[in-house]
Amino acid sequence: MDELDILKRDWKKQEATLPKISYDDIYKMIHKKSSSIVKWILIISILELLFWSGLNLLIPDSYLEIYEKFNLKTFLLVTQIIHYVVVVIFIYFFYNNYKAICVSENTNLLMKRIIKTRKTVNYYVYYNIIVYVLLSIILNVVMFSNPETLIDALNPENLNIDGDKFLNIMLIVQIVTLIIMLGLLCLYYRIIYGILLRRLSKNYKELATMNN
Amino acid sequence: MNKELEHKFISEFQENQNIVHKVCRIYTSDQESHNDLFQEITIQLWKAYPKFRGDSKLSTWMYRIGLNTAITLYRKSKRSVPTQDFDTVLHRIESTDYDNTEEEQLKLMYKAIHQLSDIDKGLIFLYLEDKNYSEISETLGISEVNARVKMNRIKTRLKTILNP
Repeated sequence: MDELDILKRDWKKQEATLPKISYDDIYKMIHKKSSSIVKWILIISILELLFWSGLNLLIPDSYLEIYEKFNLKTFLLVTQIIHYVVVVIFIYFFYNNYKAICVSENTNLLMKRIIKTRKTVNYYVYYNIIVYVLLSIILNVVMFSNPETLIDALNPENLNIDGDKFLNIMLIVQIVTLIIMLGLLCLYYRIIYGILLRRLSKNYKELATMNN
Repeated sequence: MNKELEHKFISEFQENQNIVHKVCRIYTSDQESHNDLFQEITIQLWKAYPKFRGDSKLSTWMYRIGLNTAITLYRKSKRSVPTQDFDTVLHRIESTDYDNTEEEQLKLMYKAIHQLSDIDKGLIFLYLEDKNYSEISETLGISEVNARVKMNRIKTRLKTILNP
């Protein structure tokens, strides 16, 4: 007899030894909360959407006054409107992709849909990072091209400070903050992916190579 | 959700629960993980049940969701290394049915199955459940030819383990 037939025979035999879960226990089970990765992806994604769209609410009003001195207020208002339109578009895509996840689909398609949903959020985060970096560059270029206005704006009490040194320190602080922020983000994504998606991506790749 | 649907689901599920236990046996190696995965599959089945139209057999639908949960959705709650071998989990009633060589071979084979990738485990599981290649390819979303090729590789691998 072929070895695999022996295995099959043994596999069938185990039917008799399988546990039987009672009606009541099944009832209890279906009222428990799922801990599937789709649920986690949903929670983390919503938090990320909220975090990034809430970030510019944290900018203090005094900053807006400074920007006003550089005639940047209209520019910032327009970028903000565009930003919120983009946020709404992202949320729409995210919702659609999330809704399309169906556990009774074939394995390949299910994984494809989960990855697509997660990717929408990633693109949203990339978009935010790019916008923040671009905006910082534009704002800095405008402000540093008018160093006098800048020193005036940041030093309203007209304290006696070395203008050049002050601007240099300000620039270095901004660059260091940006690098630290990006570093933390990279770390965060490594952890999130490590925990949630490594196994899924590995399995998806395996199926994809089979299909090629 | 309404009680009638709940009752219908639990009764049907109870009758077919073997499918879910068998998925758990392929994918987990200790009792605790078995129960954990069993619960997650049950929840997923219940959540998907209102959309089950009956255009496929209930068992086919259960195989699909069971495997999808094990391969894709399930997040192992513990990172501990399984301490028990798969074959010791199988409480065989009539061990006298097996001669020593067969017993040894089975042990080796179950051990080998446990070392397979998630996808390969799915393939061998459907093979052990007597599913044909068209059903296997539809469940996993790969072509029939690829399912065949892959299955032959797994079979060869298992055979080489037994006859090195």
